[in-house]
Amino acid sequence: MTELHALDNVSLKVKKGNVVSIMGPSGSGKSTLMNLIGCLDRPSQETIILDGEDITSYNDNQLAEIRGKKIGFAFQTFNLISSMTAQKNAELPMIFRHIDKNSRTKRARFLLQNLGLERWYSHYPSELSGGQQQRVAIARSLANNPPIILADEPTGNLDANTGEKVMELLTSFSEEKKTILLVTHDPSLKKYADRVIILMDGKISVEQ
Amino acid sequence: MVIGVGRTGDSPQLSLTETVFTDKDVENIGNLHHIKDVAPVGIISLKKIIKREKFLTWDSQFGGTMYASNSVILEILDLEMVSGRIFEEGEREIVIDKSIADVFGENKPLSIGDSIYFQRIDGIVSKTKIVGIFKRKEDANIVGRLTSPSIVGPISPYYSTYFGSNVGRVILGRTSAYGILYARAIDKTGVVSAQNESLEYLNSDESDAHHYKDKNSDFVLITQEYIVSRVDQIMSVISMFITAIVLISLIAGGIGIANIMFATVTQRTREIGAIKALGARHSDILQLFLYQSILMGFFGAIIGCIVGALGSIVVIEFANNRISDIGGTYLSGTISLNYSNEWFIIATLVGVFVGIIAGALPARRAAKLDPVKALKYE
Repeated sequence: MTELHALDNVSLKVKKGNVVSIMGPSGSGKSTLMNLIGCLDRPSQETIILDGEDITSYNDNQLAEIRGKKIGFAFQTFNLISSMTAQKNAELPMIFRHIDKNSRTKRARFLLQNLGLERWYSHYPSELSGGQQQRVAIARSLANNPPIILADEPTGNLDANTGEKVMELLTSFSEEKKTILLVTHDPSLKKYADRVIILMDGKISVEQ
Repeated sequence: MVIGVGRTGDSPQLSLTETVFTDKDVENIGNLHHIKDVAPVGIISLKKIIKREKFLTWDSQFGGTMYASNSVILEILDLEMVSGRIFEEGEREIVIDKSIADVFGENKPLSIGDSIYFQRIDGIVSKTKIVGIFKRKEDANIVGRLTSPSIVGPISPYYSTYFGSNVGRVILGRTSAYGILYARAIDKTGVVSAQNESLEYLNSDESDAHHYKDKNSDFVLITQEYIVSRVDQIMSVISMFITAIVLISLIAGGIGIANIMFATVTQRTREIGAIKALGARHSDILQLFLYQSILMGFFGAIIGCIVGALGSIVVIEFANNRISDIGGTYLSGTISLNYSNEWFIIATLVGVFVGIIAGALPARRAAKLDPVKALKYE
């Protein structure tokens, strides 16, 4: 049996506060890299060190804890919980960290307000436009104030205009400078990135 | 204890047409060691009751039953006088059940002192006077509950069945003959002895009944204990049947919940992946889904309790209507509905339990989903 290497010998160091855009054709290993950085997956070889912690041998619950604390996710398909209101969706990561209800509400409303959604707290995802949904997802990713934001094609399901706005918000709005990893194959997003990495067949081919 | 003639065996049957017990039998059974008292009963089926007042006559079709007996019968059947007094032997007097006082309508109730006529099923009309009104005690014994005479009166002058009277020639002289006797044992522990004693007497040469009953008939002695045990038997069969239905329903309900939960887990795979990415632990997701299935079990149980309670009211209503349709005033017993509150609590807990059991596997499946695969799920 031959092992398939989605990623081969990739070594990547990301500086705090940088916006790094990871680009490349489909099948190039972007998603795998994202999943590894996002602590959703473990590497078969080598190690991942996040914030000085070697997380390679962590179990599922420990990884979940790290995700909750340090990583905020924004997905192409938003992945909001359809049975919860915008506010409840934004509160979700805080629920898993057992933050009390008052602080949760306050924080979720603060984030939604800053993302221009103050009129939509109690609306369900199905009642929101794509851009609004992605903004709720961004609020959710920022809920626990994580140092790292992973955005997987955040504008993929949005029209160009809305995509621009969402990107503006994502890169500009945060209380402190966040490390943002942006996976995309939309070249127009390059302008938001401090650094662009292009993956080819599981290897870093170009760095700009 | 009811003493009659009929068929013994697994389900003894009384035949009320054989009138074989004489006054001598009544007296001898009454004198037995374990017997407290005996009431011979002549059953008179009534056709109508007639009331005449000056020039007016009312009559009422009336399918009730009159017991011609002595005053002990009221005690044995747990009937108590509400007003008036008991009838005197030899007098044209009766006592009536409270429920038939309104036989002519509520605005013309029968009351004590009224003279009325009753017509038997064979056409004979007798005049009588109401001297008392009785009702069945709330906590009446089972024989009393199963037997509801509308009218009770003295044997003389209302009951006149004699040996030979329906054969043509009187052989024995005129001695009254009864189809049925009601007897009471001295106390509860003496019932079996009283039963054996009575049977021994009845089968002896000394008893008249022994000579006059049909050769193919047996003496049948039915005790309260026997009736209770038969009812218990029937009830235990019914409750076994119901238990089986309940178990099947619970299993079906559980499978239903599990099915819905599995469908939900599949349908929401991406959402599960997303909340895992947001930091949900194994236990968080387990809780989330168990909570949902418990809610389903809980509300299912509550709805079930309400439907069950309303359904039993309807069934009881229906059954009681049927009883009065079939039994008329002869069988006036009603079934009452008894809820015990703890069963509602138990049912709700069982619902929650079924929710947990049925939700466990789907919840586990959800918790174990690989977030990477779940997020890619289409």
